[in-house]
Amino acid sequence: MTIPPRLEDYLGRISPDRPALATATCTLTFGDILARAQSLRQAGLPERLALNSDDLCETVPVLVAADGVADRLLLASPGLEPIALADLCAQAGCPVMPSVDVPSVALLPDVAAPTAGSGRASDAGARETTWVLTTSGTTGAPKLVPHLLAGLIRSVRLDRIAEEDTVWGLLYDYTRFAGLQVVLQSLLSGACLAVPERTAGLGDRIRFLAAAGVTHLSATPTLWRKILMTAEHRLLQLRQVTLGGEIADAAILAALARAFPGARVSHIFASTEAGVGFSVTDGRAGFPVSYLDTPPSGIGLAVRDGRLFIRNMLAASTYLDGAPLSDAGWVDTGDMVEIEGGRVQFRGRASGVINVGGDKVAPAVVEAAVLAHPSVRLARIHARPNPITGALVAADIVLDPATTDLPALKADLTRFLAARLPRHMVPALIRFVEDLDVNPAGKIRRS
Amino acid sequence: MTKPGEIETVIRSLFREIYLGQHPGGVMPDLEPGSILLETGLDSLGFAILVTRLEDELGYDPFSLAAEAYYPQTFGELVAFYVAHCPQ
Repeated sequence: MTIPPRLEDYLGRISPDRPALATATCTLTFGDILARAQSLRQAGLPERLALNSDDLCETVPVLVAADGVADRLLLASPGLEPIALADLCAQAGCPVMPSVDVPSVALLPDVAAPTAGSGRASDAGARETTWVLTTSGTTGAPKLVPHLLAGLIRSVRLDRIAEEDTVWGLLYDYTRFAGLQVVLQSLLSGACLAVPERTAGLGDRIRFLAAAGVTHLSATPTLWRKILMTAEHRLLQLRQVTLGGEIADAAILAALARAFPGARVSHIFASTEAGVGFSVTDGRAGFPVSYLDTPPSGIGLAVRDGRLFIRNMLAASTYLDGAPLSDAGWVDTGDMVEIEGGRVQFRGRASGVINVGGDKVAPAVVEAAVLAHPSVRLARIHARPNPITGALVAADIVLDPATTDLPALKADLTRFLAARLPRHMVPALIRFVEDLDVNPAGKIRRS
Repeated sequence: MTKPGEIETVIRSLFREIYLGQHPGGVMPDLEPGSILLETGLDSLGFAILVTRLEDELGYDPFSLAAEAYYPQTFGELVAFYVAHCPQ
């Protein structure tokens, strides 16, 4: 079997003198990155390694050295608590990688390599490396997700090298899917990637990006709203504004078009189930209903029973265990949509999952935590639309009739939940009600 | 009809409640008209909660009423935004 190009091969296409990385403390050209990667390989790389460095100038050469050589590459968030990281390392029982200042850990046993990666060349110097990223699960516990480089760069146009002055800005955690997409997009297109200090305030990060000459910037709608709340956003001279990770509403799209008149504003819709995505660049929320007849290239789009289906001709027709995944390539995205004024508008997840500023919340998990409080009899968890974070978690609660001091109970319940749930999952709005609607099956009506 | 001064009082009181909920035992920052909202210590989740609580308290949400999308930068701009969109 042929081994696809390695990260090193893609970077080798770029002129070595072009700047590739600019952080608060260092700059590297493409030539510098390749030279560092070469010496890291000569020093010897472990089979499995984990990276959690805050410094992209340290990390990127390791990624380039490891891809195509290492078996697995785990990207752990630099913001991870030392205890959580140590726990991961302890479970793996691996030593710290000696040549660079990053720990090396084997992965948790329940991480399966993607099937396409199972074919390994006998030559140990040429193999397809499994990139393992963490994702925030809807229960709040991080999940480990395996990827291959080919999948991570699916949306990157490889036939074009960016104009000389193209500078991407990085506002996401590079160890998460969205952040890594920005890193790879920038590197593979030959652009320079400007990386502000992670712990700096948003205004200072925007000031740094403006000084670095950022022309391309990607963020969630929630983060863009915050950016527009900084005075520093006026310093940015953007040509490309990208939104992803949440539903982009008409208000934020209009505000961005006004703030950055020279920029193309694109919002991205991606489905992990279908393994594809597409972007909408007309500056309006949702996408044109004409896409249902003439879809963006390579996919098909359809609305069935108020849900969006995507056809990806490359999608597997069954899960690994043989269960049907798609019907002739059509995959249910799980997104509820409505056709309104010639547009297909997103209305949230059919599963009821609540998206709070990009963090996904499963109502059932919140409900279980609320019901664990001794004074709570019934609870209904739902989304409340919000102009800043898209949605907030709200709870309607029926209390034990013996409860007398409501303010004290509310304070106690808030502390109780804060100790059990990540912040974005704690109901931001709690309403005490006399009773909750129950459907004929005895279940609480959620809608 | 709510007077501008009353609107500001409601905003200050809810801001304080949400801030102290996020920073138990913390010291509430001084809110001057020129205070930069993002530097007050309330994060985007806190602002989201503030906007929704204000909608419940005042009966309107200027972010969805405003004809032009707007994101205030200072405390003074936030108060003025709520005053300007108060239903008559």
